[in-house]
Amino acid sequence: MSLLDIKNLSVRFGDATAIPVVDGLDLCVEKGEVLAIVGESGSGKSVTMMALMGLIDAPGIVTADSLQFDGTDMLRLKGRQRRHIVGKDLSMVFQDPMTALNPSFTVGFQIEEVLRQHMSLKGQAARQRALQLLDRVEIPAAASRLNAYPHQLSGGMSQRVAIAMAIAAEPKLLIADEPTTALDVTIQAQIMDLLVGLQREQNMGLVLITHDLAVVAETAQRVCVMYAGQAVEIGSVPQLFNAPSHPYTEALLKAIPEHSQGQRRLTTLPGIVPGRYDRPLGCLLSPRCPYVQAHCREQRPTLDANERGAARCFYPLNLTAEVA
Amino acid sequence: MSAVLTARDLTRHYEISRGLFQPNAQVQALNGVSFELEAGKTLAVVGESGCGKSTLARALTLIEEPSSGSLQIAGQEVTGANKAQRKQLRRDVQMVFQNPYASLNPRQKVGDQLGEPLLINTQLSRLERRERVQAMMQQVGLRPEHYQRYPHMFSGGQRQRIALARAMMLQPKVLVADEPTSALDVSIQAQVLNLFMDLQEQFNTGYVFISHNLSVVRHVADDVLVMYLGRPVEMGPSELIYNRPLHPYTQALLSATPTIHPDPSKPKIKISGELPNPLSPPSGCAFHQRCPHASERCQVEQPALRLLDARQVACHHAEQINS
Repeated sequence: MSLLDIKNLSVRFGDATAIPVVDGLDLCVEKGEVLAIVGESGSGKSVTMMALMGLIDAPGIVTADSLQFDGTDMLRLKGRQRRHIVGKDLSMVFQDPMTALNPSFTVGFQIEEVLRQHMSLKGQAARQRALQLLDRVEIPAAASRLNAYPHQLSGGMSQRVAIAMAIAAEPKLLIADEPTTALDVTIQAQIMDLLVGLQREQNMGLVLITHDLAVVAETAQRVCVMYAGQAVEIGSVPQLFNAPSHPYTEALLKAIPEHSQGQRRLTTLPGIVPGRYDRPLGCLLSPRCPYVQAHCREQRPTLDANERGAARCFYPLNLTAEVA
Repeated sequence: MSAVLTARDLTRHYEISRGLFQPNAQVQALNGVSFELEAGKTLAVVGESGCGKSTLARALTLIEEPSSGSLQIAGQEVTGANKAQRKQLRRDVQMVFQNPYASLNPRQKVGDQLGEPLLINTQLSRLERRERVQAMMQQVGLRPEHYQRYPHMFSGGQRQRIALARAMMLQPKVLVADEPTSALDVSIQAQVLNLFMDLQEQFNTGYVFISHNLSVVRHVADDVLVMYLGRPVEMGPSELIYNRPLHPYTQALLSATPTIHPDPSKPKIKISGELPNPLSPPSGCAFHQRCPHASERCQVEQPALRLLDARQVACHHAEQINS
């Protein structure tokens, strides 16, 4: 059984008739796997993981056929039970390390708090373990940093501390929501190395939420591409990057300057992601898709499995056998 | 072709107060930057946060006076120019900022914001201004009805188009763009970059393009200036630097940039540590603590920029590393 198994997850804000922000998402993560969720702002990638962790408050409505994590149905859990899992078996690293840490407490205290709550460690034992964790995330002079406040650390260092907190209770699944977006390239490389190293060492599942396709190409094993709340393509790396099946994936890849190959202009999709109130009747990409057919404008495609993964398109690209 | 922007040994130092009984500290935010920019060309300035990219932008746009060195815009000296001359010079250098959510006035209609540079700097009548604004709006892909709207009604990409239109209203000779696409999504970034390229072609503007995204820079730049802790470490033609970087920092920076098709046979160059404290920069070469090739000489002697293989590089061991 998969470590994480999401079936038909929808998240709405407002009443049950509101347009879903996440729409019928199916996703599974195996133990020890690195899955990346890629998409532009507003595509619903963060909301999906927030829903999993139970962080969606009213007026948000989360519905799913199944939201199984490690054999537990996360939808049915009540406060105390959920807090027993979230932060322990399921933990998260956020985008902005400067706001993820509490400015009023020392770094050591914040790491020890996790250890007290979830690992029943106290006093010297907790201190020792916190020190080990800071060493593990490669913070120089870790002993002196235990008493530092977050404002005394740089962005990269703060992100290391946030990672130390996230792995303190040896989680089975770590969710990293844009963990390097706020950091410089050389620091980004260091942090990604660290995350992948930890993932291998502890055989964790790792869900990497990002908008940077290049980071995905270098770290993930599988990718889920999201567009306007729907998964439009799921595939493995590097196949998805070499031959994308969905026009949106192809467009995203073409829009990267790395692919310009000396051309002065980049290939772009016209227009922007449809908002809540201007959703097209048919395929959500149909107003922007270069391959659009009359059929696409009238009916919504489903996420169909093909030889290389799955794509939500009537006319998937780069397939040898015609699936449509 | 003549240069539209020439910087010679530009420096900018800040005094930082450290308390009542302490002497002031000095941050050398910008140190010995020289370059020439020709009309219609793009110079990209690359480096990590704190390397002096934005200080350079502020100096070039006359927002701040450089501490020393000379700056010429279209052949006219900026340092020591009087108020009237500076006002004239400011017309020729415009700027696009990183965050389009903060760089537009939320209380002013888009049309008025675009017309303001003309109102201040030209004698055009209201009608003529309006015509110019609408022509520019069409060029950057905004519809005529957008004239009456406020910035909050636009998406990030559209706002960056407005910011770019505002900067181009006076047809400046130089446009300084400080991380213009880093707040945008990939597909929107591509649209905005295309717009930058189109406008450059049309108006023959020289661009100073500041970015930390090396794949964007490769796409737009003719020349690249790599900076580290306020100093230029390598400068030269873009293709040359991307294909064969000579400075260990440039090499590390390029190697750390993730790519869509990673080459497993090329191991990543890993540099440890972070940018040193600019208040107490390391002796010798500023990069020596993180450099894999550092020797004793690097700890004591600061390397000067020198010409090597058709570009300038500031490293004692550039030949040995790359032989």
